[in-house]
Amino acid sequence: MPGSSEVKVDPDTGLLIRDGDNVKMNPYDLFALETALRLKKEKGGEITVLSMGPQAAKAVIEEAFAMGADHGALLSDRRFGGADVLATSYALSQGIKALGDFDLILCGKQTTDGDTAQVGPEISEYLEIPAVANVTKIREVTDETMTVEMDMPNQLEVVEVAFPCLLTVEKDIYQPRLPSYVLKKATADRKIPIYSLDDMDDQDENNYGLSGSPTQVKKIFPPETNTTQTMLEGTAEEQAKKLTTTLADLKLI
Amino acid sequence: MARLKVHQDKIDDPEALVAVCPFGSMSVKDGNVVIDDSCRMCLNCVNTGPKGAVEFIVEKKKKPLKKERWQGVAVYVAQVDGEIHPVTYELIGKAKELAGKLHQPVYALLIGSQVQAAAKELQHYGIDKIFVYDDPKLARFAIEPYTAVFERFIKQNKPNSILVGATTVGRQLAPRVAARMRTGLTADTTILDMDAKSTDLSQIRPAFGGNIIAHIVTPNNRPQMATVRYKVMDAAPRQEEISGEIVEKKINEKKLVSNEKIIDIIPKPAEQSIESADVLVAAGRGVKSKAELDQLKELANLLGGQLAGTRPLVENGWIDVRQQIGLSGRTVRPKLIICVGISGAIQFIAGMDNADNIVAINNDPKATIFKSAHYCLVGDQSDIIPQLIADIKARKGE
Amino acid sequence: MAYKTFTKEDYTAILDLINDNDRVLYQDAIQEEYGHDELGGTESLPDVVVLAASTADVSKVMTYAYENNIPVTARGAGTGLVGACVPIEHGILIDISKMDQILELDEDNLTLTVQPGVLLMTIGDYTAEHDLFFPPDPGEKSATIAGNIATNAGGMRAVKYGVTRDFVRELEVVLPTGKVVTFGGKVVKNSSGLDLKDLIIGSEGILGIITKAVLKLLPAPKKVISLLVPFPTLRQAIDTVPEIVRSENVPIAIEFMEQDVILDAEEYLGKKFPDHSADAYLLLRFDGNTDEEVEKAYQPVADLCLKQGAVDVFISDTQEREDSIWKARSAFLEAIKGSTTDMDELDTVVPRSKVNEMVAYFPEVSKEQGIRIKSFGHAGDGNLHAYMLKDDLSEAEFQKRMTKTMELVYEKAHNLGGLVSGEHGIGYAKKRYLKETMDPVNLELMRGIKKTFDPKNILNPNKVFDV
Repeated sequence: MPGSSEVKVDPDTGLLIRDGDNVKMNPYDLFALETALRLKKEKGGEITVLSMGPQAAKAVIEEAFAMGADHGALLSDRRFGGADVLATSYALSQGIKALGDFDLILCGKQTTDGDTAQVGPEISEYLEIPAVANVTKIREVTDETMTVEMDMPNQLEVVEVAFPCLLTVEKDIYQPRLPSYVLKKATADRKIPIYSLDDMDDQDENNYGLSGSPTQVKKIFPPETNTTQTMLEGTAEEQAKKLTTTLADLKLI
Repeated sequence: MARLKVHQDKIDDPEALVAVCPFGSMSVKDGNVVIDDSCRMCLNCVNTGPKGAVEFIVEKKKKPLKKERWQGVAVYVAQVDGEIHPVTYELIGKAKELAGKLHQPVYALLIGSQVQAAAKELQHYGIDKIFVYDDPKLARFAIEPYTAVFERFIKQNKPNSILVGATTVGRQLAPRVAARMRTGLTADTTILDMDAKSTDLSQIRPAFGGNIIAHIVTPNNRPQMATVRYKVMDAAPRQEEISGEIVEKKINEKKLVSNEKIIDIIPKPAEQSIESADVLVAAGRGVKSKAELDQLKELANLLGGQLAGTRPLVENGWIDVRQQIGLSGRTVRPKLIICVGISGAIQFIAGMDNADNIVAINNDPKATIFKSAHYCLVGDQSDIIPQLIADIKARKGE
Repeated sequence: MAYKTFTKEDYTAILDLINDNDRVLYQDAIQEEYGHDELGGTESLPDVVVLAASTADVSKVMTYAYENNIPVTARGAGTGLVGACVPIEHGILIDISKMDQILELDEDNLTLTVQPGVLLMTIGDYTAEHDLFFPPDPGEKSATIAGNIATNAGGMRAVKYGVTRDFVRELEVVLPTGKVVTFGGKVVKNSSGLDLKDLIIGSEGILGIITKAVLKLLPAPKKVISLLVPFPTLRQAIDTVPEIVRSENVPIAIEFMEQDVILDAEEYLGKKFPDHSADAYLLLRFDGNTDEEVEKAYQPVADLCLKQGAVDVFISDTQEREDSIWKARSAFLEAIKGSTTDMDELDTVVPRSKVNEMVAYFPEVSKEQGIRIKSFGHAGDGNLHAYMLKDDLSEAEFQKRMTKTMELVYEKAHNLGGLVSGEHGIGYAKKRYLKETMDPVNLELMRGIKKTFDPKNILNPNKVFDV
């Protein structure tokens, strides 16, 4: 999903202001790509980048080429439009199947627009492969398995997972590299195949786009902003009491 | 199949309609307004565009869903080694309210190993049925066996809605289950309500980093699933008396196969960075002694947060440069920041003004910090802070 | 010259003029930071601090000081590095940081009228909202505009756009006598006599106190991208700079940095830089109105760098990427500060063709004098910042080695046709180096000008040169 974390909202209408011609990779996906590039450097293999979106999203794949990805493909079809998380995950899983065999799928933590962090786990279900989310570190990679650290609230779980599998990596697992001008030039002519519904194994339109989406957005509206200011007055004892109550009401105690 | 139909004849100003789309998915081609495949179906064009210009058409599915077959609101019990995560009680509180509107039962789903004590504890919260899947193979979370158990629970009990805590486990398990059930899942909902007539769950969640709020429904699929973060809903009170039935379930061993192996569980190094802390206590020049600073540190610990500060405190060596907030330091966005003895120089404010809740304590009523604070305490921190520490300890029952 | 000793009566008189208890600080109410600037080193507290709220406040206090022969020093945000705002002779300190309002945006003439205490970052945010920009871009964004004008600050866009002087149209100044005057005007051209406005710019508060400024703005470029170019050696990086400057598409910024400073910044910020594998880097920035335009501008320069032996050319084209680079760049000074016990700085400027010679000299003198030196800077405009670090040296030893090093570096700069300060100013700390390297005739002319403006030598005495 293309997107930048820079999102502005028009204060009058509450609508998002989007920079239409500026398609860049979702910042969270950069961490996944960087992980892939480091694994490739250590263990070899080839990296394919898959994205779903309008034709302009090709720019995202070109960006991945300039960072070192080997192949790319774009899922683009009017019939994929209006997809919620489930339909998006389904289309992506179908796209992955169409691309052929793989050992490892890496996903970013979330997108910046929906930030649901659900696409990774849902793809893994459709592909019937094991998945580990919240990966903060890759410890070891063998021919059959990889050992990773999963970030839990109070501890780290060290998990050995068999290939093929899917990992969702945390932000900051590695500092993403910048696109290289040298690679950008070298890959300028590299073809990016476009996959439509007709290339999928499952060609039932009802499983894609809006028809394949169980959730519906009833409406969107701007949030109420917290601009109120409260004076907590009285003696020091009273002030402390008021603040304690406030913090408790805010569920901060 | 649902779709949008554009009625060109009802559009006076195509550009104005195009401007309504928050996703830039509409454009004018050959004088006609067209919608491309980046459309998110937010229906903003239907709701705020010219009347009748864009029509939302829902074509009935062949097999209409028999909603009445799906009854009850279920809560997934988040637990590690038999210890129940408190988000569970908050979800139970909400589930009781939602189920009450439908006059339907509340279920709990407890998956783990040796979780009998946890099941008994849940009986104090007014749940109708507590389904327990207890097996050594389920001792720790692994996506495949947990999903298999969850699936079996849903197929046998057909709940109308399922609430899952947005914990590390919940955020992986819920989408996997939702995909298996081919149903909708709304992540990080902040408001949930039940429509008694349609039995549809109203799910409200922030999107785009909180810049917009979306109201989401799952009208044609069951179960309806939502995850909720910790400390969003109000917890159900614990009752002295016991109620509800513990239903022990077994599951076929073959279903519990996992391609993942938990090799080790290691304690996490204590979170050091102030950027990732939810709570910060920030000290400024008004903090005059090391003893006062130690009190602030105690306050920070008590709130599960970290101590931070302004530049002068770094300069006199009281805090590390990594704890400095501000333009020449770090930018933070905690849920709560308590600013103590900080005058509020722009350099500092710019580093923290995106915090959700800003508390300022300063003896100078004219201090600039009060302009940015949500909660203002004018007074001497050396009087207020010890009181505050005592009060918070009392509330936490320490 | 003997000044009047500041007394309680003077305090009462000034309090009477200002008529606001909270804006006249006396004795214990004076915070210690009024005695030094960002770098420290030069320290001296004022007798009284006046938080001016208006030009009238400044004028009234100045008039009183003139009549009573009391020294006055003006101070903005205190982000200077050479002690220019430190009241060496005590007396009155006028803090203008509360005069922080933007007064007018004139979109017809593309000018912005501001009070002196407006911060650079405020101007940046405000102009961005109107798709305009004020090109001077010093690293310290929390400095006041008056401070920037008083030092003729340069910053990182100087290669293409020039320095603060090029973007000031008009100044309102309170003279040492207390009289309020206006120099320059909202005009583009000006041949109306000697340019007094240009005399005030860069005068470090010794000729007058700036109380209002009309700034020139430009339409903001819509796209900005940076190139981070790793080189195997610093020499190769620096040798590429003149080639870039000669090329057709001049970047807005050409910065150089070395690996160890990057590592310090990573440590300081707790964040990784996008690349730290090479010994040295050039950081180039280009702007334009479309992606295509910017791409076209940077391609020949990228090719040139590769031809000169660059390992690669990395492209920073998103907000996140820009932040990861430029935040680190802005933190260099603090990061270096954090890596040692104490330090002093050099802000020398040499002709662009001599940058490589000057940069090569730093490690040489460092080794020779036994003092650690870190440097980075604006390679594209010849302005080099070098920091001499105390580390484990004793105070006496540090002072000795540092003084010797400074002498040598300034001598080297002078021989290369350079000057003492590019953008930080002379203030108090660099006075003797200006004296040593400047033609005495020039200094005599400066003294004459100072005397004309300030016959009693009460405004910021002991700064820049001795009268």
